[in-house]
Amino acid sequence: MLTIENLRKEYARVVALEDVSFEVEKGEIFGLIGPNGAGKTTTIRIILNIIEADSGKVLFDGKEFSPDLQNSVGYLPEERGLYKKSTVMDTILYFAELRGMARSTARAKATEWLQKMGLGDHTKRKVEELSKGNQQKIQFVSAIIHDPKLIVLDEPFSGLDPVNQELFKEIFLALKQQGKAVIYSTHQMEQAEKLSDSLCLIDRGRSVLRGSMRDVKRKYGSNTLLIEFNGDGTFLESLPGVKHTIRYGNSAELQLDGVVDLRQLVQEINARLDLRKFELKEPSLQSIFLEVVGARKTTQEAQA
Amino acid sequence: MNKILAVARWEYLEKVKSKAFLIGLLVTPVIMLAMGFLPMMFVTQEDTTTKVLGIIDRSGAVADQFRIRMESKYKLSNGNPNYVVRIIDSSPSDSASAVRSADGMVLSGELEGFCTVGTEIVSDSVDLQYRSRSVGDFQLLDRMEKTLRGIIAEKRAQAMGLNPSVVKDLTEQFELRTVKLNKSGGQEEADFGKVYFSSFAFLMMMFFMIVTSGQLLVRSVIEEKSNRIVEVLVSSCSPRDLMAGKVLGLSGLGFTQLVIWGTIGLFISLKTGNVFIHPAEAGFLIMYFVLGYLFYAGVFIAAGSPFNTEQEAQQINSYLIILLILPIVLSFPAMRDPEATWLRVLTFIPFFTPTMMALRVPIQFPAPWEIAVTIVVMVASIYGAMVAAGKIFRIGILSTGKSPTLRELIHWVKNG
Repeated sequence: MLTIENLRKEYARVVALEDVSFEVEKGEIFGLIGPNGAGKTTTIRIILNIIEADSGKVLFDGKEFSPDLQNSVGYLPEERGLYKKSTVMDTILYFAELRGMARSTARAKATEWLQKMGLGDHTKRKVEELSKGNQQKIQFVSAIIHDPKLIVLDEPFSGLDPVNQELFKEIFLALKQQGKAVIYSTHQMEQAEKLSDSLCLIDRGRSVLRGSMRDVKRKYGSNTLLIEFNGDGTFLESLPGVKHTIRYGNSAELQLDGVVDLRQLVQEINARLDLRKFELKEPSLQSIFLEVVGARKTTQEAQA
Repeated sequence: MNKILAVARWEYLEKVKSKAFLIGLLVTPVIMLAMGFLPMMFVTQEDTTTKVLGIIDRSGAVADQFRIRMESKYKLSNGNPNYVVRIIDSSPSDSASAVRSADGMVLSGELEGFCTVGTEIVSDSVDLQYRSRSVGDFQLLDRMEKTLRGIIAEKRAQAMGLNPSVVKDLTEQFELRTVKLNKSGGQEEADFGKVYFSSFAFLMMMFFMIVTSGQLLVRSVIEEKSNRIVEVLVSSCSPRDLMAGKVLGLSGLGFTQLVIWGTIGLFISLKTGNVFIHPAEAGFLIMYFVLGYLFYAGVFIAAGSPFNTEQEAQQINSYLIILLILPIVLSFPAMRDPEATWLRVLTFIPFFTPTMMALRVPIQFPAPWEIAVTIVVMVASIYGAMVAAGKIFRIGILSTGKSPTLRELIHWVKNG
């Protein structure tokens, strides 16, 4: 339903986006991942027509952006801003009206959503009296109250406690069930891995990896060795045939180059460590991320 | 259109409920009264009780006449004499002790104040004094001076051997009444105070209204920018709708203010029986009010939207306030010479048109062609201001980081 083609954006001679392309389907949760400053927020702003791209296209069901599409998108910006002095209900109603909802329907919907968020008795309170997390919920309600087809959320989980993260996740899944497209940005890979159906990895203004989670993982194959051990694992990085290592104290994820003899490798590790467990599996998103971003860094440095 | 109305409604309701608006609404008339009306009222206010005055007359020639004239000429509204004069005896040799005891009577409240007259009144230097705790009662001072001047002039004339009845004719008191003529040939009695007040009141009202609304507007834009609400707004509706809604909401706010103040004004008029302004003149003033309001709304949007903090915007606001305050400063010279060329020239500069007209209309109604030309100038300026503000707003609301320079702003307007 949403096609992004070759976006490019410069700010005062700084290139924010060089080349970003991806597609988002109906009924999927789409993760826009990448390191800080990669261009995620710029991409989101262009999708929502807040800023214009210098070149490239944003197509909704094959059509270019038009004002009547404004009522079919919902947006939760990264910065948590609301009118501090206004009441919760007034704020939600205003945002709903701006998305073309009638006040009466908006009021009923808002009451329903606030109940679901556990804020049913906060409708008359001023926004500034609410905790940060609750303000975030108000913003979230404002972003989805008008039943948009496309929902764009910039870092929706940051600043939320685990209970509320679960609440948001459940709502995401419910929205997906209803056939909405949900795009969210994050730099928390573990979460993106569990939640996203598809993803696009943006690094320094380029979409360097994209597709469904299954395809992406398949592409990076089952060349990841997961080990648990006792002892000092610092030498693991320098082993022949290991491209990349992520160590977590007593366990590690080794990216293999695909040609190394697995038996030999395990034997060598076992000789130097007290190896308790090993498993060959798909790489984690984190390790794919590090590999892709790291590889790009090395080639760019080499070129420079 | 619905979105414009939604923005307008929001802006209106949120601001009507704000403390800043309420304070502006209530404080402005109070300040206006305090600055323009009260001093005048106190100065010209009629006494309600009889005041006791004393006189120590060392010449012996003034006191009796002073008492007769002060007591008979000036009456309170209930018919009682406004002043009672007590002649305080004093031997010529010891007038100092008489003054001291009279001072004591003033301090104890027995006397409002007292005059001392020197021994010699026919010679050139007359030693006259008025001693009181309060010397700010201009009406009393004016009356005493007139009375004493009359008596002394008569005495001097008599000393020169003139016939007393001739002297009386010569020193006859008179008062100057002022009559304001208008173009249709009608005339009305006007006093300086009323004209000054109505002109001043309208200026102040316009000033406070534009400044309060302008500040509210700038503050709301900056709030939306600083917490990035503006991103949600701009993804929901076009910047044009957003700005139109803000201007509309703000105009509603101005209208509310106008109605409330108008009601207060009408109430004061009816209560005091003073008609400060003709309905026709008021009509023209309201028209300039509306034009000026819309023009400055555009100017404030353009001035506020490129900035990220209130402090930055405050600076540009203060320049705008100076533009608005200038006519208030000029109100006195304008009163003296409403036909002055510089005054008429300023009237055609859109930044000053509404305030200058507020100043000129009650003093002397401008020529029809001036009215026509200024309306055209204002309408064109409003259009220009809105278009330019729209362009600056569209770019400005999304700009962050350092404030743009003037050159960048011009670039925005040209290329936006």
